[in-house]
Amino acid sequence: MTTATARPDAARVVDAVKVYGTGDTAVRALDGVSVGFPAGRFTAIMGPSGSGKSTLMHCAAGLDTLTSGSAYIGDTELGALDDRRLTLLRRDRIGFVFQAFNLIPTLTVAENIALPMDLAGTKGSRAWTDALVDVVGLRDRLHHRPSELSGGQQQRVAVARAFASEPDVVFADEPTGNLDSRSGQEVLGLLGRAVRRMDRTVVMVTHDPVAAAHADEVVFLADGRLVDRMENPTADKVLDRMKAFDGKGAPV
Amino acid sequence: MNAALRLSLSSLRGHGRRFAGTFFAVFLGVAFLAGTLVMGDTLRAGFDTMFGEATEGTDAVVRSANVITTPGESQGVRAPVGTALVETIERVPGVAAAAPDIQGAGQLVGSDGRPVGGQGPPTLAGNWIGDPKLNAYRLAEGRAPSKSGEVVVNRGAAKKGRLKIGDTTVLRTPDPVRVTIVGLATFGGEDGMAQVTFTGMTRADAEKYLTAKPGEATGIRVRAGPGVGQEELVSALTPVLPKGVEAITGQESAQENTDMISSRFLTLFTTLLLVFSGIALLVATFSIHNTFAIVVAQRTRENALLRALGASRRQVTASTLAEASAVAVTASAAGIAGGTGIAAGLQALFPAIGFPFPEGGLVISGLSVLLPFCVGVVVCLGSALLPAARAGRTAPLAALRETAVDESGASRTRAAVGGGLAALSVGVTLTGVLLTPSLWLAGLGAVLALASFVVLGPVASSAAVRVLGAPLDRLRGVTGSLARRNALRSPGRTAATAGALMIGVAVVSLFTVFGASLKATMDRTVSHSFAGDVAVSTPSFGAGGSGLSPRLAPALARQPAVEHAVGLGRGVAEVDGEGRALTVTDPVTLGEVFDLGHVRGSLGGLGTDGIAITRQEAARRHLDTGDTTRLTFTDGRRVNFTVRAVYGRSELVGDYVITRAAWAPHRTQDADTLVAVAFEDGVSTADGKAVVRKVAERYGSPEVQTRDEYARSSAAGIDMMLTLVYALLALAVLIALLGIANTLTLAIHERTRELGLLRAVGQTRAQLRAMVRWESVLVAAFGTAGGLALGAFLGWVLVEASDGASDSSFAFALPPLRLAVVALVGLAAGALAGLRPARRAARLDVLRAIATE
Repeated sequence: MTTATARPDAARVVDAVKVYGTGDTAVRALDGVSVGFPAGRFTAIMGPSGSGKSTLMHCAAGLDTLTSGSAYIGDTELGALDDRRLTLLRRDRIGFVFQAFNLIPTLTVAENIALPMDLAGTKGSRAWTDALVDVVGLRDRLHHRPSELSGGQQQRVAVARAFASEPDVVFADEPTGNLDSRSGQEVLGLLGRAVRRMDRTVVMVTHDPVAAAHADEVVFLADGRLVDRMENPTADKVLDRMKAFDGKGAPV
Repeated sequence: MNAALRLSLSSLRGHGRRFAGTFFAVFLGVAFLAGTLVMGDTLRAGFDTMFGEATEGTDAVVRSANVITTPGESQGVRAPVGTALVETIERVPGVAAAAPDIQGAGQLVGSDGRPVGGQGPPTLAGNWIGDPKLNAYRLAEGRAPSKSGEVVVNRGAAKKGRLKIGDTTVLRTPDPVRVTIVGLATFGGEDGMAQVTFTGMTRADAEKYLTAKPGEATGIRVRAGPGVGQEELVSALTPVLPKGVEAITGQESAQENTDMISSRFLTLFTTLLLVFSGIALLVATFSIHNTFAIVVAQRTRENALLRALGASRRQVTASTLAEASAVAVTASAAGIAGGTGIAAGLQALFPAIGFPFPEGGLVISGLSVLLPFCVGVVVCLGSALLPAARAGRTAPLAALRETAVDESGASRTRAAVGGGLAALSVGVTLTGVLLTPSLWLAGLGAVLALASFVVLGPVASSAAVRVLGAPLDRLRGVTGSLARRNALRSPGRTAATAGALMIGVAVVSLFTVFGASLKATMDRTVSHSFAGDVAVSTPSFGAGGSGLSPRLAPALARQPAVEHAVGLGRGVAEVDGEGRALTVTDPVTLGEVFDLGHVRGSLGGLGTDGIAITRQEAARRHLDTGDTTRLTFTDGRRVNFTVRAVYGRSELVGDYVITRAAWAPHRTQDADTLVAVAFEDGVSTADGKAVVRKVAERYGSPEVQTRDEYARSSAAGIDMMLTLVYALLALAVLIALLGIANTLTLAIHERTRELGLLRAVGQTRAQLRAMVRWESVLVAAFGTAGGLALGAFLGWVLVEASDGASDSSFAFALPPLRLAVVALVGLAAGALAGLRPARRAARLDVLRAIATE
């Protein structure tokens, strides 16, 4: 899949710096990261705890703001947007899958999937939503409440919701963190299929090498810096790469 | 410090905001209660001092011992005493001075031509007593009246009527008398005896205008010589007094006056305020209970962890109760301080609005501190009791469960119990209203209805919110739908939140319905029994000023445009030992201007020994035409009257009618309360009214009204009362509003992650705010709807029960416009309550919200 570079980035950050706190207690969570997430690809962000991978995702997705540097969704610079436009951008162009608590408990499965469109007051593509429901395999659960579903089913609904409005990019933050391995496999499989069969873009933060192996490419973060990229990862290769961080605390 | 206490204190420190609503609910209720008590005590003490000072120099009062009290009057009517007695008294050893005290009604006309006072407190006139120690009023400016037509008025009345020394005006006694003001007086150091107006004239004028015949006085004031005590003076006086005349000490007299003011004004005033602080505290109970219930639910995991670590049930319960106590004690203490502040503020405010508040410091008794404090603490702790017990019951395993959200629902038992209560209340009420009319049964039914509403609340809330919120889906799309479902999440909580507002709205609509029904009743009374074209009347509310001149009706009857003009005067007598109001009038033409219903016998020939009675009274006393009954008048004379007519309707005419000739020997100061006028055929109402007004001008320009205007003005007092009630109920609604806001804030805290998720997937701040606001409006709508239904039902019960239990018939009326306003206010309150929680929710940091554990 070396042709990927030919396509524009769905999301990217340039010289991203994020500092929490001030003075002595200041922590540089991101320390000058520049990375692009190509459209039509499944990218995983990996790194040990505190490496800044979640911060990178939050900033790239417009949930958090950078201290310096810039973040783009397509050609839109996020730093220039006020809260309202940022919200609309998230609604229309970005999908999210969080580790847990992805669904509104008062809404049914179908309503949860349609939520971003409903908030926008648009109908969305009926055929697309229909196809999604079949892909995630929840047709018989459409009118159930989230509390009536298993954890794995809930995450599958979250995946459907993330893709429902046909966003430019879907960000997934440890989507399998709370699941058993079988359910986790299902969710990862779904994300992968969405990218390859439906030509979507996914950026996933994970610390699990097995999860990362589902991606087309893995970017490694340590101490707030981009330290490596790996095409066509496998669980073993990723695990080896991660082990290299241990003890040394710094890249090779 | 023990563990439970330490935990609750640290939790209070950490989550103080959560209890802000509870604090304010208790604070407001307690402040209102304490303010009422302090103000009542202060007023009472002030009046005591005022009367004490004003009557300091009067050591004894001599007056008629015969007093006739009619139902509904606090002060009886006494016969006059002869002024000749003054000389006898002056000769009694130990008497320094004695002066006749002639009192009657006299209403001043202000410089703008409008009468002064008359809408409430009495308007008095009397002789100006020369001995300053015997005179309750002190001359502050000018001089005492020395010749006919000169008067001293109290400063308050002069201010209100914009009158000054040297002005000439009219005093209605009720015949108009031209008077010149030569002096201004004070009473007990104040501008007047509360709002009572007083005009002091020469003794000759007073005897001429205020008594039936010269040589009579209301009483005689006596001053003792040096070294003679009040009791001693009274014992010395008693032997020289004729039969039927008594002497009382000056202190007793002052006490009677104070008691009269207390019973007429203070008791009513404080009772009313206490009732409303009770309602406010009842509403507060809901808010407090709800806050603690939510806090305990949110703390399930924490409490479960404590239990798992070995804390006993009692320790967990005690920790919640300790928290409640801390809030209760601080809020109650602050409430007492606030209440005292309110009383002090009112004390300062009253004189500014022309109400002479008796001077002197605030009277803060132990009771007015202890009672509100205890009530505040009991209400707060009592409301927290159930949630605290629930906290203690937390299973240690709950620590391991995922959610800590209170989803308490409506159980089957609740529905059954509530349904049973509702059925019982309807049964009891209907029995009390329709089968065996009884206020007690109806009241019991009303209380049961309230209880069933509270029990059924959670059951009803789901259905009600679904129905009320149905249009939201279409109107506001997913925002509305989310708001509706949030309101549906925890039916118990929604019901409790709405319950506070429900009580407030129920009481408001109860008064609205009852007020409208009273108005309808009055309207019906007038339209049924008033057969004239115009009415000349005094204000129907309060003492009614000085009344109408008895010569007005004959003067009107002489006008060519007027066919009949009948005045209704008022007399009192004991009928078979019970004080009764008599209507003194011209019975011959009475039937021409009033609809008396079916009349047996004839009103034409009552003469001086005939009486006409309503059917109801006749039945009660087993009288019929031709029977005789004995009337005892204030002068002690007993006269046998023959029943010559029995009539059906009594609303305007009263129960007993005698002729003016029969009343004349027993009369005091004569005044009519109403003159009904019927025009000749072909005279238009406008023309006739102009004629009547022209004549009325010569008799002090009383108000001339058409039949409709008369009906409307009869009901004006009710509107005034309603306005006062609404103002007082605003407090209860405010507490309910705080309750809604507090519950929403706590709910938002619970749903932090959910709100974060909504914001992450694209809900704008405006949408989020709208969602919270609509939830608030929905809860308020449920409370308002329940309150309206309950209030209308209770209003109906009250009206029907009054109808069944009393002699006069009541009409039931539902005022749609007013109730619509009440509904709108309820909804607006909901929208208002949602504002702050919505703003807070919208300020939520998305990232922190989704990261919150």
